[in-house]
Amino acid sequence: MSFDNKKLLAVKDLATTFHTAGGDLPAVGGVSFDMESNQTIGIVGESGSGKTVLSRTIMGLQQRTNVTVTGSVLLSGFEMVGASEDEKRERWGTEVAMIFQDPMTSLNPVMKVGKQIDETLRVRLGMSKADAKARAIELLELVGIPSPQYRYDAYPGQLSGGMRQRVVIAISLACSPKLLLADEPTTGLDVTIQAQILNLLEELKERLEMSVILVTHDLGVVATRTSRIIVMYAGRIVEIGSTREVFAHHRMPYTRALLESSPKVSNASHTRLTTIPGRPPNLLKLTQGCSFAPRCSYATEKCHVDRPELEAADEPGHMFACWNPLPKTRRTVKK
Amino acid sequence: MSNFPQFNVLEEAILVEKPEKKEPLGVLFWICVGWIGLNIVGAIFANVLPIENPLFQNYSLVNAGPSLHHLFGTDDLGRDIFSRVVYGSRVSLSVGAGAMLIGFGVGAPLGMLAAFRRGRFDAILTNVMYVLLAFPAIIATIAILSFWTPRTLFKIIVVIGIASVPLVYRVIRTATLSVATKDFIVAAKVQGATDRRILLRELMPNIAPIAISFLLIGVATVIALEGALAFLGLSVNPPTPSWGNMINESRTILQMNPWLVIFPSAALCLFLLCLNFIGDRLRHHFDVTEVKL
Amino acid sequence: MLRYVLRRIVMLIAICFIISVGSFYLIHLLPGNITTVIEGPGASPENQAKLYKLLGLNKPIYQQYFVWIGNVLRGNLGTSFISQTSVASTIRAALPIDLEIMFLSQILAFATAIPIAMRSARKPDGWLDRTFSAGSFTLLSVPTFIVIVLMVLFISVKLGVPHTGPSSYVSFSQDWIGNLESLALPAVALAIGSFVVYYRVLRSDLIATLQEEFITMARSKGLSQRRIMWRHAFRPSSVALLGAAGVNIGGLLASGFVVQYLLNIPGLGYTLISAINMSDYLLVQGIVLVVSVGVVLINFIFDFIINIVDPRISRE
Repeated sequence: MSFDNKKLLAVKDLATTFHTAGGDLPAVGGVSFDMESNQTIGIVGESGSGKTVLSRTIMGLQQRTNVTVTGSVLLSGFEMVGASEDEKRERWGTEVAMIFQDPMTSLNPVMKVGKQIDETLRVRLGMSKADAKARAIELLELVGIPSPQYRYDAYPGQLSGGMRQRVVIAISLACSPKLLLADEPTTGLDVTIQAQILNLLEELKERLEMSVILVTHDLGVVATRTSRIIVMYAGRIVEIGSTREVFAHHRMPYTRALLESSPKVSNASHTRLTTIPGRPPNLLKLTQGCSFAPRCSYATEKCHVDRPELEAADEPGHMFACWNPLPKTRRTVKK
Repeated sequence: MSNFPQFNVLEEAILVEKPEKKEPLGVLFWICVGWIGLNIVGAIFANVLPIENPLFQNYSLVNAGPSLHHLFGTDDLGRDIFSRVVYGSRVSLSVGAGAMLIGFGVGAPLGMLAAFRRGRFDAILTNVMYVLLAFPAIIATIAILSFWTPRTLFKIIVVIGIASVPLVYRVIRTATLSVATKDFIVAAKVQGATDRRILLRELMPNIAPIAISFLLIGVATVIALEGALAFLGLSVNPPTPSWGNMINESRTILQMNPWLVIFPSAALCLFLLCLNFIGDRLRHHFDVTEVKL
Repeated sequence: MLRYVLRRIVMLIAICFIISVGSFYLIHLLPGNITTVIEGPGASPENQAKLYKLLGLNKPIYQQYFVWIGNVLRGNLGTSFISQTSVASTIRAALPIDLEIMFLSQILAFATAIPIAMRSARKPDGWLDRTFSAGSFTLLSVPTFIVIVLMVLFISVKLGVPHTGPSSYVSFSQDWIGNLESLALPAVALAIGSFVVYYRVLRSDLIATLQEEFITMARSKGLSQRRIMWRHAFRPSSVALLGAAGVNIGGLLASGFVVQYLLNIPGLGYTLISAINMSDYLLVQGIVLVVSVGVVLINFIFDFIINIVDPRISRE
């Protein structure tokens, strides 16, 4: 396998700017990372950190006139930034597919779920009506929907949230994509269903040899399921590294704050969760310095005026952006 | 190139304060208000204004085109079209105002109360109103007006007014419901505010923008309806001029005197356009989107 | 679904009952002795006896209703004292003309409103959208009776286009091309009014639908834009369109009356207005009853179609 084939996705200096009435809004800026085949990486951050925008930008779904995307997204060697809708459409579904956040809104309410899987197969893979139906039922079975022949004719409104998300997954898998972008795939679901869906995704990834980008605000979700983690804040990567490394040796104070604010089973009962003071910044009013500085207890004068770039930590591939990183000792935060 | 209107990631994914700016009303809005005002003044003071008697027949000047003396020309009986258009606005305006007064006078309090009280009162009333709404109101209006002779302005106002009640009821009820379930109303209830106070102080101001823009559209619809009825000869009897019956009178002499059609039509359309425009601007201004009008 | 349909049928029966009571009572709005008013002072005793039998006038009023509705259900709407023909047969002769005008106008309105609204919604604030939005807003303020008068003024009178003026109606069985020619103007006039409504409703609903996440989802499946517009956006939005069409029917009929009145087309509207002018009350009553029930039935059918298009409604 050549080096180029191994690199499924190469993102370089990606920036997404919305031009709003209130001024230019840099939703994503200076994002660079690579991804190899058969990998699962997690993108984590609070709501408003730009992770949803990032995933949609990688997918190339932005096309509104008031959006500017710069930088580069190489998907299996094809440049998605600046590609025409037709060129992107060829890759959507087959190269890269997406699972949307809310299964309540991402399925067409007036179309039978079976038809929604069918049409992808027929339009993209040129299957016959009968073949497509058979395959759609197979897919429904694959994502763990009981009595799929019967569910084929159901409307989304007749299914529960978890079922709907399974249907969404079935749709996104229809054309066997190489890369699956899962944008908060479990936020809209009950806690008990969340684990089922995540386990399903993990299992399917192994079975179908896909790569997955899992976007979430929940560190617990990425801890066991990803090999690499990207921590985002205010549209930028603030820390990136192997999952083990980021959990054990994170250097950025924001990563720690994020870790400390998520509940863990190992905690004694009634343990108080730490909260991150303040709110994510208003992206319209970003300062020169580190955007986390106003909420950071380690912030110095320098943090407020000068933005830190990503710098390498000890382990290869682990990088962080901070002027006052946490010491290199092993942390006690448990997965 | 493709260009779909895009999804709203912006608001969801990025925390930006939504600008609470109200859309300005614009100059055209005030021009429309002015035009409506001018029509109202003209209708009220028609007999004081220095214009010709609309019933005076000058047989020496029949079907004349516009001139300095007769701004809009004269009709087939030599009557001054300008003064007939001015007097004709009286019928349209009184039907518009009168019918909506009845419609809102009955429909609005009922709608508010039903939405506020809920329960059985609401259930019964709403079902009755929905049955009435399914009734083709226009046909009913034509039917009643054709049997309830002789036709007077008062009867026309009453019939159209009553026919509009179910519609007003539905709009106001839906609007009130959308406000009444909001937290600040619940809070007021919990604090022990009297029903009367909640209805008048909390609900009223919040549904007023919806009510006003619907009122304007209602007035426009009613005026257009009266015009059509007059055109069919089912409104006030000639020789009393109204915009609709002027157009009716002209239809047999289209060839000879197109002015007789053009001026009352223009007066009617311009008036309706102004009303619709004002209503539309107000809806944008107050951001009335929760209730479908 | 079944429960929903049953509920609608109960409602339908209730409305038809109210319509029948209303139509029945219309006659009693007339001042003075009913037989004299309806049949004129010189009516023959034989005709008077017939009317007495039809309306059951010697009985108490609630029994009169049952006598009358019994006759109506057997298809007996009485006999016009002016033309001496049965009301039912007059209506049967006139009704197809109304249906034809409505059918033609709706075909025209949908055939223009749907594609233009789709294009408009794809590029809101583009030149096409701006033009049609402003144009349709202006046309919203022009009542159909004015549209038709102005069309007659400019097209038949000024331009002198043949077969468009008043009294040029040709029946379908006589000459179907001539029939279509003579109904072109009415159909276009009514279509304009409907177009404005359909275009505006569909455009704004489509714009809202296109913002939905499932549209982005459909794009991410790699479907063509055409397919997304028709299969994913149009279908949910067509519910609003069908709703508007159902509501529009009553107004459309009334506009049809106006058109027939102006152009002397012998449909129900023309027949109704002349009956009113000649005080032919039984004919008026019959037309009102038939038309009202017809509107309610059409609304019922539209409701039913909406239900099939959008399965969410009956499940609410």
